[in-house]
Amino acid sequence: MAPLLQVSGLSVRFRTPYGIVRALSDVQLTIHSGELLVVVGESGSGKTVLADTIFRLLPLNSEVRGSVRLDGKELLTLSPDAMRSVRSRSLALIPQSPGTALNPVRRIGTLLLEVARARGLSAKEGEEGLARGLDEVGLGWDSISRMYAHQLSGGMQQRVVNALAFVGTPDLVIADEPTSGLEDDLVDATVAQLKRIRGRGAAILVITHDLRFAQKLDGQIGLMYASYLVESAPSGIFFALPAHPYGRGLLQALPEHGGIPIPGSPVELTALPSCCVFAERCSVRKPRCFRESPPMYPVDGDNHRARCVLYAESERNQ
Amino acid sequence: MKFIINEYPSVAEQTRRGILHRVPLRVAVAAVGILILGFLALGAYFIRPVDARSVDLQRVLNAPSFGHPFGTDEVGRDLGIRLLHGLRVSFAISILAAIVAILIGGLAGLVAGTLGHWVDSLFMRIVDFVSSQNHLLLGILLVVLFRPIMGGAAAIVLSVGMTHWTTMARIVRGELLSLRERPFISAAINGGANRLRLGWRHYLPHLLPSMGLGLVLLVPHAIFHESALSFLGLGLPPHQASLGNILADGRRSLLAGAWWTSFFPGGLIFIVVLGIGTVGEYLRDLLSPRWRSELEL
Amino acid sequence: MIKLILCRIFTLPLILFGVAAFTFTLVALSPFDPIRAYVGAETGVSKATKAEIAREWGLDQPPLQQFFTWLGHIVKGDLGNSRLVAGRPVLEVIGSRLGPSVALVGCAFIAVLIGGLILGTFAVMFRDSWFDWCVRSIGYVMTAAPSFWVALLLLQVFAVQLRWLPAGGTNDLRAPTSGTLDLRYWILPVLTLAVTQQSWFTLFVRNSLLEISREDYVQFSRAHGMDELAVLFRHALPNALLPFATLIGSHLGELMAGSILVETIFDWPGLGNLAQRAGLSADLPLLLGITLLGSFFVIAGNLLADLLYRVLDPRIREPLE
Repeated sequence: MAPLLQVSGLSVRFRTPYGIVRALSDVQLTIHSGELLVVVGESGSGKTVLADTIFRLLPLNSEVRGSVRLDGKELLTLSPDAMRSVRSRSLALIPQSPGTALNPVRRIGTLLLEVARARGLSAKEGEEGLARGLDEVGLGWDSISRMYAHQLSGGMQQRVVNALAFVGTPDLVIADEPTSGLEDDLVDATVAQLKRIRGRGAAILVITHDLRFAQKLDGQIGLMYASYLVESAPSGIFFALPAHPYGRGLLQALPEHGGIPIPGSPVELTALPSCCVFAERCSVRKPRCFRESPPMYPVDGDNHRARCVLYAESERNQ
Repeated sequence: MKFIINEYPSVAEQTRRGILHRVPLRVAVAAVGILILGFLALGAYFIRPVDARSVDLQRVLNAPSFGHPFGTDEVGRDLGIRLLHGLRVSFAISILAAIVAILIGGLAGLVAGTLGHWVDSLFMRIVDFVSSQNHLLLGILLVVLFRPIMGGAAAIVLSVGMTHWTTMARIVRGELLSLRERPFISAAINGGANRLRLGWRHYLPHLLPSMGLGLVLLVPHAIFHESALSFLGLGLPPHQASLGNILADGRRSLLAGAWWTSFFPGGLIFIVVLGIGTVGEYLRDLLSPRWRSELEL
Repeated sequence: MIKLILCRIFTLPLILFGVAAFTFTLVALSPFDPIRAYVGAETGVSKATKAEIAREWGLDQPPLQQFFTWLGHIVKGDLGNSRLVAGRPVLEVIGSRLGPSVALVGCAFIAVLIGGLILGTFAVMFRDSWFDWCVRSIGYVMTAAPSFWVALLLLQVFAVQLRWLPAGGTNDLRAPTSGTLDLRYWILPVLTLAVTQQSWFTLFVRNSLLEISREDYVQFSRAHGMDELAVLFRHALPNALLPFATLIGSHLGELMAGSILVETIFDWPGLGNLAQRAGLSADLPLLLGITLLGSFFVIAGNLLADLLYRVLDPRIREPLE
């Protein structure tokens, strides 16, 4: 089956007065319809830039190299009009901070209907779809639609934008931190909602820094560090034993596993080394790690890759 | 057609904004221009002013020519020399008026900031009230009230001072409020320093740079105010003609088609206001960006 | 909400009181001789009349009492008689000239609004193009241009050289021959006022739009495929214009200041012109009356702007309960 989303060799950098910021370096990933990919990483690792790039909403000072194909179509070279039509028909975004993503001077109902109309639904269909979508997240159309964003709590705002994923029939839903501000029971509800959307045939890309939420989603995990995708593995395998040292470090830092933080501090994105980006802080580093920047090596079959020399052919054989 | 409204500044804008240690061209040009005009104005003290002997009724309202590069006015005087003296007078009066406004405002702000509490609240009410008034109307009233006794020049200085003191007052008070938090001040207060003495010895040295900057920024306003008043006939007497007076004279010749009599005086006012304003704003952005909202031209 | 409006309206008399006190203090502090003001330099006025006038206006009383006497007169609508206009009551003189001034300032204001919106929006749409650069540069430069100079230049070009428009001088706003409104007299004054005030509004629209376009909700609407024009009109502009309401108040004062000069140059039959002539002939009652009215307008404008802002911004209108 042909993949829905195919990202290869994607590099994004920004020209700023402080230097060139590398946001994404040589990212490669694939999502098929009905699949769920969870991109995990700390803030500043490049996760949101990935979403922005797929939507082609990067700022003017950005430089993009590589390829992003949706359903076979190369998105990076589309005309603005064509891209807009892709956004409305095939893509759906659950934004990172719903409080600021909702226009403060418009009523929620107006804003939601706008999205529904943009996705090709008529006014009536839109209202029905929204009512269903809000129902899925536990809110009512009649009570919510007349309110303004500032009148809702953070959690409610998040649920409102989550509801938008159910409206229309997007092929790819990108959810950026959909559980921020939500309590545990609502996090579980979000997991259920996302699985339901997946069941309807859409592909989902979830971006999060919440490892527990990622685990519950039970999809494919993509671990990012300092603009690189360092590991891609099925959720069960990843949370049992991550291949990449960074993944291992992250899990060890969780309270239930000992709470041992990773030594050192995150890398400056304006001064990324040309060798392995994690070498400085890695507990199993070798001299080789400071000489080369490793590509993604297969670890265990097609679904499991890691960007670490530990899995290079030469190292394995030892 | 680039129909894009994008959220991050473009590279062009970033490079323009990011590097302030290179002075922008327009500021350099403005600074040079003002210096030149300043020298010219000073030089005017050495040039014989136009007086009754310069009246030459043969050369009434001549267009600009080789002999008279700025033309002649309605009684035949060379406009260029008149403009030079007008520039001198305008500069002198405006700078003096701006100094007075700074002093009044600074003093008021200082008093309010040091005494605090209800004095401060009352003070802010007064400041809000005065600053929202129509400067020119108030200025006219002040000139009318005080001119009979003080004479034209002093009345204008008072008029500018009493209408423009508010910006300095707000800034000084604001600076005081932040100064009060600083450790060496609380040390002094805890040491039992008398509040007024505190104001004089501790606050003042810190406020002087702000007042200097305020002065530069206020001069264009003062020039405009003074020119407007003179233009309306409420300013300086004819023998002390400022650029505003000359412009008023020029207006009378306008219908006769003598464009130079109003173009040059007004243009000179415009250049001076623009030049000083440009330099002043550049200095403000460099030294105290948080004053932006207070001191918009 | 209604409570708020009523509350605001009640503070108005309080503020007017403050205005009156302020102007009275100014006059009291000045060396101005009030009797001269109210009577004029006529030598033919007898001592008895002078004494009577002094008594009526409380000029023989201590200052504080004088103030309240004067206030009493004002509240009754008696601002004294204007020496300038042949002894007619000040209120009447002001009243007759209020209309033209309001018309002038009003038209200029509308021109500023429309021009600023169009220029500012286009400047943002074609950001960093030569058009944008022109708008910004010309706007910046125009803030320094004295309105009276611009007026004279326009007069020179359009009235004297080209002879397209009259040079002003209407006594009422009708052309001397026909009885109807001759708009040709309006063009230059409105144009001058508008041109000199244009820049701050254009730059405001431009900068506000630029800031707004960095907001999350604008990005979000692009993310679901809205085209740029719709994003501009549905999301960017309404939010960008919201702070404008608060700025109206402060800039109304400037518009009025500009109108004094423009009215004088074009001989417009309004209050600005009147103020200048009152100043020249030291007609204090008239001048005081105009100042009081001016203050009133500015303050009322500020209050109105404040109310407007509260009504328009739903975050203030319907806060979290």
